Amino acid sequence: METGKQERNLLLISGLITGSGILTVSFLAKGSLDYATGGIVAGIWMAFLLVHLFLRTTGHNGDPVLLPVASVLTGLGLTLLLRLSSDLFYLQALWLVIGLAVFTGTVFIFQNPDRFAGYKYVLGGIGLILLLSAILFGVDIGGHRSWIIVGPVRFQPSEFAKLFVILFLAAYLSERREVIAFATRRYGPLVLPQPRFIAPLMAVWMLAMVMLVAQRDLGSALLYFGITVIMTYMASGRFTYIALGAFLFLAGSTLCYFLYSHVQVRVDIWLDPWKDPNGKAYQVVQSLFALGSGGILGTGLTYGYPKMIPEVHTDFIFAVIGEELGFVGSAAVMLVYLLFIYRSFRIAMKTVNSFSTLVAAGLAVFLALQVFLIVGGVTKFFPLTGITLPWVSYGGSSMVANFVLLGMLYSISEVRRNHEK
Amino acid sequence: MKNDLLANIRRTAYILMGLLVILIVYISYVQIFEQEFLKGHSLNRRNIEAAATIPRGKILDRNGEKLAVSLPIKDEKGRFRREYPFGSVAAHVVGYDSVQYGKAGIESSLNGYLSGMNSLGRSFGPLARLFGTKTGNDVVLTIDSSIQTIAYQALGNRRGAVVAIDPRTGAILAMVSKPSFNPAEISSQWDNIASSKDAPLLNRASQGLYPPGSILKVMVAEAALSERIASANSFFDCTGSLAIGKDYTLSEDKQIAHGHLSLKEALAVSCNVTFGRLALDLGRNKMEKTFQRYGFIKPLPDELQESACKLPKFNNLSDGDLAQLGIGQASLLVTPLRMAMLADVFANHGVMMKPFLVQKIVTVDGSVIEQYEPEKWISPANENLANQVAAMMIEVVEEGTGSAAQIQGIKVAGKTGTAENPHGDPHAWFIGFAPAENPQIALAVIVENGGSGGGAAAPIARKIFLQALH
Repeated sequence: METGKQERNLLLISGLITGSGILTVSFLAKGSLDYATGGIVAGIWMAFLLVHLFLRTTGHNGDPVLLPVASVLTGLGLTLLLRLSSDLFYLQALWLVIGLAVFTGTVFIFQNPDRFAGYKYVLGGIGLILLLSAILFGVDIGGHRSWIIVGPVRFQPSEFAKLFVILFLAAYLSERREVIAFATRRYGPLVLPQPRFIAPLMAVWMLAMVMLVAQRDLGSALLYFGITVIMTYMASGRFTYIALGAFLFLAGSTLCYFLYSHVQVRVDIWLDPWKDPNGKAYQVVQSLFALGSGGILGTGLTYGYPKMIPEVHTDFIFAVIGEELGFVGSAAVMLVYLLFIYRSFRIAMKTVNSFSTLVAAGLAVFLALQVFLIVGGVTKFFPLTGITLPWVSYGGSSMVANFVLLGMLYSISEVRRNHEK
Repeated sequence: MKNDLLANIRRTAYILMGLLVILIVYISYVQIFEQEFLKGHSLNRRNIEAAATIPRGKILDRNGEKLAVSLPIKDEKGRFRREYPFGSVAAHVVGYDSVQYGKAGIESSLNGYLSGMNSLGRSFGPLARLFGTKTGNDVVLTIDSSIQTIAYQALGNRRGAVVAIDPRTGAILAMVSKPSFNPAEISSQWDNIASSKDAPLLNRASQGLYPPGSILKVMVAEAALSERIASANSFFDCTGSLAIGKDYTLSEDKQIAHGHLSLKEALAVSCNVTFGRLALDLGRNKMEKTFQRYGFIKPLPDELQESACKLPKFNNLSDGDLAQLGIGQASLLVTPLRMAMLADVFANHGVMMKPFLVQKIVTVDGSVIEQYEPEKWISPANENLANQVAAMMIEVVEEGTGSAAQIQGIKVAGKTGTAENPHGDPHAWFIGFAPAENPQIALAVIVENGGSGGGAAAPIARKIFLQALH
């Protein structure tokens, strides 16, 4: 019961944070809090508490930090979207409620994770199809060719593909851990894994390169290749895989740099955005202006100029945090992600079976890479990649997929507790 | 083997979380250490937007005439445009406010009040929103726009400057510099204005450095009296030139010999021989002390943005240069502002008031935030001697070189100067005050390369006196 109390208290605090943010934006932007906005925010807060009560009364006792962290991050996202455009706010609120429902469902479905391990090739196949569908039938919306349109539904398959790919890799690797770790062959001074175990790695590498070239999506290419290499390393303990992966990716991207102008442009912008600040580097330069103008304490909510940055509601939402909430705000958000990633790794390490361990660790790695790539891109620490900031950026696919991820982690954290009893 | 897996995960966790910590450190670098560069970058349109959405305070003259005002832009709600109703007339005092090219004049020195955001509040970010006002404060200047306009017109198309002061208070009534520019066009015409050969951006009134020529003689006369080198009864002989040492001769204009004359007469005809002689008699030390006494090395308040006067190295002066210094030449360079203040001493019975440009700062609803009171700055001369020199200056206008400044029914005191310089014709100077018995205005006029002071500068002074005393 102790964890249940913690979760409730943390949810109350996160609700206060969201509430004060929404109130601030409403009063500064419109002069008053309208009933619709107030009702929606109160409703969402209630929804979080209901999910909490429902799970706790049905005997679930997962990690008490996960749900409150999602509540803080989605609350911050809603506050910023209300500040940017009320239309986006309403839609995001809707996606959030759907996300919470999906989260609850996932917690139940994922209660016995091991049974998913048996379907690894089906899961891997779905992941591959999702990724390929985006490559083959992707439609360009807002600068990303990662959308699939089926009738009235449009979604970004790559947001969901990560869940399937991680499940597949966890199952595949946990089965073959010993073999992959010890089946090596010596090539002169190099000790390399046997070719049949490098084959999946090579396949993902090819896929990543196709993403980079055909979809112009450096972010997804890095994410999917990174997760494969790192999970293989975690399962085998062989640093060779990391070295090999880094070499393959660097070689591939260097080749792409010389062959394809759009890759070249991305890298050149990163190296020196001030060469073409009004042209190709416009977005990054505007983002840097926003971050710098925020300074330490920020301009205060609604006092910044986020609309100078294109795509500010999705990829560049971190720049708004930096401008209006200052370094204090941007560092706080980063610390919340660090906390979440730390808890995820902790869940992984306290779990008894190696499949669940690898799934939890894989989700943690994926989140860490995603936050690093998008925040690093927006701040020019890393070449810019078009991916979302989990739970904060606007977007239905990303919101729902991340709540599935949250549900999986919650369930895995329960398995551990049940085992301890 | 289980432990092996956990060790690998732990290592991975450390590396990835370490990467995020490095990223946080990097963000602190961007947001804290690079913030000045990013905030102030010329491509950062936030500055334009912020400037356009704050109604800056008005800049008003002493009678409430608007010198600078922010007006709402039609069709663009919540945005403002800066307008300058007096255009180029008061450009150097009022200054300009451009996002690309910065600020100047009062727009710059009092920006904290005009923008409503003092520098203290700005660094407190969102907290400043609680205390900060949304509109700027009005700045009321000591300038009288009618005198400013007359002075501007009187200079015509010639390069030069006028500074007029109320001698009783030190309030600056007019500060004109020519050529000028229109502050409203600073952004659109920057290249033309900034690169013009005539340097229209230079405020010649407080930053132009010129040899003073004969107008300095009023100070030398007072020094000679106070150091008892001469008295009202002393007489001098002028043969048209003064030989100093073996190889230097100080000569009168056109070698005219003024003959036997008193100090008063010598000032009236601006006798170089007499004043060269007085400077030699005073010597280097006493000349240096005199310049110190008249405040030449004491800086003025920042809002006046003056250039420091260039004084010679007194110890190294040759006799010839010392005599030259007595007639305001040698390597001495002064600003018109300082020469108006020199006239102030003799208008105000030996006391130099602290010159000031800003009278008060008022909020939009009319309450006064800051009020500036007249202040005694220095007392270079005792009352008796100052009045003696003032009487000589009346003689200059009534009987001497300054007759072009005469006004019927009003007694005008003055001194002309015709300053030799390496840039062509001599600069024409006039300093003076009126009415002489109860001065209300003291001024300095310079016309660059204008020829004789009596011919070019004194008539301008006359027009300004007329406007101020009508």
